[in-house]
Amino acid sequence: MLHREQWLDLARKLDWEFSYVDEREVFPELASGTPWLPAAAWAGWDEPYRTSYTEYVANQHAKEASLFAVHESVGRVEDYLRLDPSWRSALKLHAATLPLAEFAAVIGNLRAGRFGRDSAWRTTSTLGALDELRHTQIPLLVLHDLVRADPQLDWTHKFFHTNDWVAIAGRHLVDEMLIAADPIEFAVATHFVFETGFTNLQFVGLSAMARAVGDRMFEKMVKSIQTDEARHAQVGLPVLRTLIEHDRVRAQYLVDKWFWRSWLFFSIVTGFAMDYLTPLAARTQSFKDFVAEWILDQFQRSLDELGLERPWYWEQFLAALDTYHHMVYASAYTYRATVWFDLTLPGPDDRAWLAQKYPTTWGMFDPIWERVTERWRAGGPELEWFTHGTTPITFCSLCQLPLCGGTPLHNTARFETRDGRRYPFCSEPCAWIFKSDPERYASHKDVVMRILAGEAPANVLELVHNYFGLDQDLWGKDTARGRYPWLGGGR
Amino acid sequence: MLVPIYGFVRGDSIGLVALVHDHQTIDELAAMLQQAASVRVAPRPRAKVYFERRLLDPKLTVGEAGLGLMDRVDVVPEDE
Repeated sequence: MLHREQWLDLARKLDWEFSYVDEREVFPELASGTPWLPAAAWAGWDEPYRTSYTEYVANQHAKEASLFAVHESVGRVEDYLRLDPSWRSALKLHAATLPLAEFAAVIGNLRAGRFGRDSAWRTTSTLGALDELRHTQIPLLVLHDLVRADPQLDWTHKFFHTNDWVAIAGRHLVDEMLIAADPIEFAVATHFVFETGFTNLQFVGLSAMARAVGDRMFEKMVKSIQTDEARHAQVGLPVLRTLIEHDRVRAQYLVDKWFWRSWLFFSIVTGFAMDYLTPLAARTQSFKDFVAEWILDQFQRSLDELGLERPWYWEQFLAALDTYHHMVYASAYTYRATVWFDLTLPGPDDRAWLAQKYPTTWGMFDPIWERVTERWRAGGPELEWFTHGTTPITFCSLCQLPLCGGTPLHNTARFETRDGRRYPFCSEPCAWIFKSDPERYASHKDVVMRILAGEAPANVLELVHNYFGLDQDLWGKDTARGRYPWLGGGR
Repeated sequence: MLVPIYGFVRGDSIGLVALVHDHQTIDELAAMLQQAASVRVAPRPRAKVYFERRLLDPKLTVGEAGLGLMDRVDVVPEDE
């Protein structure tokens, strides 16, 4: 019987020269990616896992069994309802943004499984597509099962099919990164930047917090997903190495573009959870600490090893670490009826912790929370609309997220005019990404543009009801409905 | 004519869209934006409005001040 190493390449790395057709016809640039390089340029492509399909099936079967054992024992409604309500909101934020984005990644992986330029790359991507299908199905199964206990979890599946502003932003990101990108851009954006660069934060940080709050189901789910991600993310590095060798400028551009776009998304989804929605007693580190430990060191080391520069906006990114998710959270809290999960009002202890973790910037945010707190005191609990704005908020023409760049003292929003149309941007990097490929982005309308064009209602209540798809039972509220012991007045 | 103006109130975490008539004054625009941001930032009795780093006369109308579709204004308390 042959040893593994004797047969493995026959199963995963088997390319040949075409004689009946031209290589460019088999791998057209439009589908295979830019720059188009002859097969010889990709011949050395390899990744360390070198998994065969048989091994894949065996490994995944064992992981499924382990996951479902946990689901059976601690994934029931009563287990969910035992969790802290604030943590449940973090869960609902992740539940909605995760599964159908993963399904979009199936498409990106399948495209690389056909049009990637080396057979080992295609093999790994095919297994990656199966991974992402699994990552779609697991949260749909585990979390949608709990809808009968918490209707907001219905957005686990519904989210990406709505016109909620977060969903518009989410689709704008994943449509380009996962569905529209060619295999080279997909490998750099998804595997190298998003998965290798950022998801450690998601999986390591959040699973540690899930453990601390006693959510064994979520902890197990993200750990199980992480082991898949760690494998198929390996596609990124060898693709990027080849790209650097032949087109360094494009390599740097793709890294710069996707680091910024990924950062904004993670800052909201993970920043909210780590600094606001995880109960204070269960927090081990701030979001900024996690980014420093799990992203900055590793990402900068990778860039150095590859001979790439840090993105040109690096100083702006470092500054945003102290501000961006705080800007968005304060805004989202006061427009919470526009989202499908509840938000928690940071109390005195939370604010003291945040002041300690963000000593240079928290002083600009604390007055906002003091103002919100005073309004709760004056209005009393349950007066949800009392704290809601009724004026439309503004959105960025690139990331589609609110104009929350900079600080409360200096918002970094900027405007560009193109063909007579005004485009607002939250930041210089978003404007740069837009201007680097305007044909791709120019026709897309943010929520305000849709309102001005008559495609969406201007009245905020009507917008939330009829356009975002949220009704009063479902839309986001204060987690405690304003009944915090520290608010006083017997509440 | 209604003009959508992007307003940024000092101390706030987000930009807001104010739909104003071009015959409304800069003072009224400032009041409208402060009211819209009041969930997060306490309104001040008097506030200055800047457009392209230029301080606008509060008595001018939006049209007279040269504000157009989707221009950015910054609202800053008078005492800052």
